[in-house]
Amino acid sequence: MIWAMNAVQVLLLILLAPLVRGVIARLKARIQNRRGASVWRPYSDVFKLFRKEDLVPASASFVFRLAPIVLFATTLVVAAFVPLLYGSALVGVTGDFVLLVYLLALGRFFLMLGAIDGGSSFGGMGASREALVSTLAEAPFLLALMSVAIGAHTGTIAGIVQWTVGQNFFQFSAVHALAFVALALVAIAETGRIPVDNPTTHLELTMIHEAMVLEYSGPSLALIEWASAIKLTVVMALLIALFVPWGMATSLTAAALAIAALVLLLKMAALVLVLALMESSVAKLRMYLVPDFLGVASALAILAVVFTALMR
Amino acid sequence: MGLFESAAARALASSGVFLFMTVLLIAAARRISTCIGLYSLQSLVITAQIAAVSRMHHSAQGFAIAAMVLTVKVAAIPYALYRIVEELKAPRDVSSSTSPSQSVFIAAGLILLSFFAVRPYVGVLGGDQAMLAAAVALVLTGGFLMVSRKKALMQVVGLLVLDNGIFLAALATTFGMPLVIEIGIVFDLLMGVFLMGLFVFRIRDTFDHLDVSKLRRLRG
Amino acid sequence: MTQVAFSLFLVATLSVPVVTLISRRWTKARALPAVLLMASLATGIAVAGAGFWDGQRFTVEVSQVASFSFALSVDRLSAFFLLLICSVSLPVILYSSSYIPRHYSGARRDWLWVLLPLFLMSMVLVVTASTAFAFLFGWELMTLFSAGLIVIDGDSEERRHNIFIYLLMMHAGAAAVIGAFLLFLPHAGNFAEMRASATLMTPALRTAVFLLAFVGFGTKAGIVPLHLWLPRAHPIAPSPVSALMSGIMLKTAIYGLVRFAFDFLGGGPSWWGYLALLAGGVSGLLGVLYAISEHDLKRLLAYHSVENIGIIYLGLGAALVFMANHAAVWAALALTAALLHCLNHAIFKSLLFLGAGAISDATHTLDLEELGGLQKRMRLTGAVFLIACCSIVGLPLFNGFVSEWLTFRSFLAGSELTDLSAAIVLPLAAGVLALIGGLAAACFAKVYGVAFLGRPRSHEAESANEVSWPMQAGMLLLAVACVAIGIFPGMVLGSLGALTEELIPGAALPQAAALLSAVLPWIALFVLVLVAGMAAFKRAKKLTATWACGLPGLDERMQYTSIAFSKPLRKVFSQVYKADRTLNVIPADQPYFPASISYRSVRTTSFERLLYRPGVDAIVAAAYRLRRLQTGNIQIYLLYIFAALIALLMFMRWV
Repeated sequence: MIWAMNAVQVLLLILLAPLVRGVIARLKARIQNRRGASVWRPYSDVFKLFRKEDLVPASASFVFRLAPIVLFATTLVVAAFVPLLYGSALVGVTGDFVLLVYLLALGRFFLMLGAIDGGSSFGGMGASREALVSTLAEAPFLLALMSVAIGAHTGTIAGIVQWTVGQNFFQFSAVHALAFVALALVAIAETGRIPVDNPTTHLELTMIHEAMVLEYSGPSLALIEWASAIKLTVVMALLIALFVPWGMATSLTAAALAIAALVLLLKMAALVLVLALMESSVAKLRMYLVPDFLGVASALAILAVVFTALMR
Repeated sequence: MGLFESAAARALASSGVFLFMTVLLIAAARRISTCIGLYSLQSLVITAQIAAVSRMHHSAQGFAIAAMVLTVKVAAIPYALYRIVEELKAPRDVSSSTSPSQSVFIAAGLILLSFFAVRPYVGVLGGDQAMLAAAVALVLTGGFLMVSRKKALMQVVGLLVLDNGIFLAALATTFGMPLVIEIGIVFDLLMGVFLMGLFVFRIRDTFDHLDVSKLRRLRG
Repeated sequence: MTQVAFSLFLVATLSVPVVTLISRRWTKARALPAVLLMASLATGIAVAGAGFWDGQRFTVEVSQVASFSFALSVDRLSAFFLLLICSVSLPVILYSSSYIPRHYSGARRDWLWVLLPLFLMSMVLVVTASTAFAFLFGWELMTLFSAGLIVIDGDSEERRHNIFIYLLMMHAGAAAVIGAFLLFLPHAGNFAEMRASATLMTPALRTAVFLLAFVGFGTKAGIVPLHLWLPRAHPIAPSPVSALMSGIMLKTAIYGLVRFAFDFLGGGPSWWGYLALLAGGVSGLLGVLYAISEHDLKRLLAYHSVENIGIIYLGLGAALVFMANHAAVWAALALTAALLHCLNHAIFKSLLFLGAGAISDATHTLDLEELGGLQKRMRLTGAVFLIACCSIVGLPLFNGFVSEWLTFRSFLAGSELTDLSAAIVLPLAAGVLALIGGLAAACFAKVYGVAFLGRPRSHEAESANEVSWPMQAGMLLLAVACVAIGIFPGMVLGSLGALTEELIPGAALPQAAALLSAVLPWIALFVLVLVAGMAAFKRAKKLTATWACGLPGLDERMQYTSIAFSKPLRKVFSQVYKADRTLNVIPADQPYFPASISYRSVRTTSFERLLYRPGVDAIVAAAYRLRRLQTGNIQIYLLYIFAALIALLMFMRWV
């Protein structure tokens, strides 16, 4: 029964990811006084791309076509770490936060290699910038997750969620507040949203993720787009699960699950709204100001870890 | 106690957290208006704490102080500062000598320092450790702001934050100072802001800039 | 039985030089030394395996034959390192059986086959010695034989300078190690006696022993600031020798430190652990930062060795801190992490150096800026090099991840300690390790991407061919080991747990390690199924040219170079790289179009300028002043002799 629940959670994450992206794009359009595309647009994009053929540069090696597959596979595995409706996940007992961070790093490493394999300047440029951002984002990511894990006395994501559900909502802990802000900043860097990277630009001065995927087409591009949508959804679900998991079902009855689904919907909607508002009101940072941005995240994460010892 | 009461009690018990967040955000802020807003938020948190403490001790004096702090520090002073910023029509950035991430690191270091400084006194003074540490951290951050920010208005904001810290320290240890002294301090602040408001325009008109680090005529 | 096999292994390895010298003239027997050496190494693997997995112990006494105390004994720790030496050397020798004849001929080839088994034997001597004399004998021999192997490759002025610095620093380190052993006098017979006498030592003496051992073994291991010889010596050696030096020789230093700190001294106060943590963190960060700015492949790999030794020291430091706080279970976890990283690093670093040798074999250059597009021309080499890159970065499903995961877990456990400083420092060390991992990922994306992917940047790279099959087979063996340990770490973890239980009393490998071994195969299976499924579903691909914004003439020079790739990171960490830049512009008649521009950037690591140069200058100045003692006057010399005699008489009278 629990296996079925966990599998359903993973499927939900995978299948609803493009919808989340579509909603964010539509909200941003409305905020910017445009009409915007339909919220189902990413689905039609993915289907269209799957039907086309793969254009591969003649000088590319097997890494070029392998990279999107590895990226998609690792993102799927990461999606199995996060509890959505019930306090357990498919990779629950062993789904520990170091493995999560490094699985994301595996996908990103192959994407960087695939970008360089394209043989153009854009690929190298995108990979070089992505190397900068991901290097500096990894330390605050791990430290923030570690500070929360220290508080919960366990290393697995599902374990942390179960511990947090048992806490009192109004007891704000300094560790969680700092870790939340640090993780939110890192999430922006990891998923490539404004102010770190613009997901809709194609100007060479401003591209990071888009520069890496410029050579890709057809099913490879579909996999990459879908993987990045899943990553965004998973990171948002992770933020919700680690910091505000109240409302999750504690028993596997239909009523509890329905309530959990509704609460999750509300929380995601709130997060989507905040993201859309922020993306429409803040300017993208110049690339050499991004280390500063991530430096703030690092300072907060370090402080969170030190506080776990001080506030015992 | 009802749900609201217990929720409010817990929220106030962890108000140290809010103050630490404002300290870090004020260190990272790049616009003067952001700093003013954060100062207003800080004062709001302190008002809530005064109100809670007065409710616990059932003292009308406390409520009077809370009302005064609310009107002056949360509303009047920030409003006056916002108006000054608008009237000046000068560039609104903070002109810091340290980058935002360096400032946040320094602020984090100051917070840790205040924790370690306060540790031996927690039992003796009888206050909550987080609140005492927050008070010392506010004082140190106010000082840091005055030292590292070059705009004249930021000196004022730094001073205001520092005063918030002293106020909070008094609140944490002796549950507030007598009413007369409180009124005196608040009016001093008001006068200070008022005078600074006048002087800022004079400085700008005489020197054509507001950069404090360039005012160096006073030397031997 | 295993004792006999062990003696057989020793004799067989020692006979390879003899066989080489005898069969010099026979062209048919060219492969004989290699085959013989591989056979003896296989015996060695079997012997070490029995010692490590089964826990058998055996000794070989040579004291009766020689007149000084010389005995070898293999316990679990020695067996682990013996297994490391033999199992990593076997593929390297297989590789060399083809590499050496291709690049060296005549006397140089013979010297290589004489010195290689002797070098391996000296390392075996170090890890299996059970008397101080045998240990030091092997220690010095390691340095000499490796220097000899480096000299075979060439004798230019610059090479001689680098070899000189190598020998100098190794001897300085050896002096410290000898000092550490000497402090155990008068009981310093064999290791058992030293272990017993260590419990009777005063804390001051134990601290002195630890510090001497730390400095001595640290010089050999290459922690900052004693790492100066590493990027000078490793790149100039022949590739298989670089693999052995970087993969195995550095680990003997770790063996020495573990023997001293955990076996003899049995742990100490917390500040020993903090010292190791500091050394490890600084080495890790500076090693990888210096590596990022390199574009000579072998020097880059040498700096990465500094980084990985730093990671091992982080694990050792954590273990020492846990032992000081009486948390034996967590100490076991940290020590297991450090030892596993020794094994993992030996495997993937050797593989990387062998790959570099293959690249230089095919393209005659090791400069990243001249390579490119090699994956299409050297398929197997590229694939195994990719596996090695993924391993060294520490990505899941490869062996580097397992040891880094264990290290992270032990840092997380540090938060449970009651000592406040430990509970703060250990979790923060995890942040340092994460930063090191991120930088390593950036660096190796650059290395593999610029060397193997994209389009060839030079004629040599365009005409590269795959290397011969023994070289491929050697690399493939190491790559399979990387993936096997990455997916099934349980193979090694169980016995490593038993090993740490022997070293740390009261320890047991905690539950967490077992959980990782349970989940990794499933994840690997899932990823494999997914990748295979998608590969099967592939739609036809159409080959086109790379998109160049619709313009023609996109050539290989428009790709990112290695220096360009690392520029953003170098700019962010510019405090570390203080470069001397000179820019010469010769203007022409028109503005904005100068006749020529030359740019020169020289980077000397700050350690040379700030630490070593003043020290060396001070020593040389002191030496000049001491020169005045040598007056050349015979009567003054006689005076010295008589003065020494008088001083001795007074000393004996009054003491």
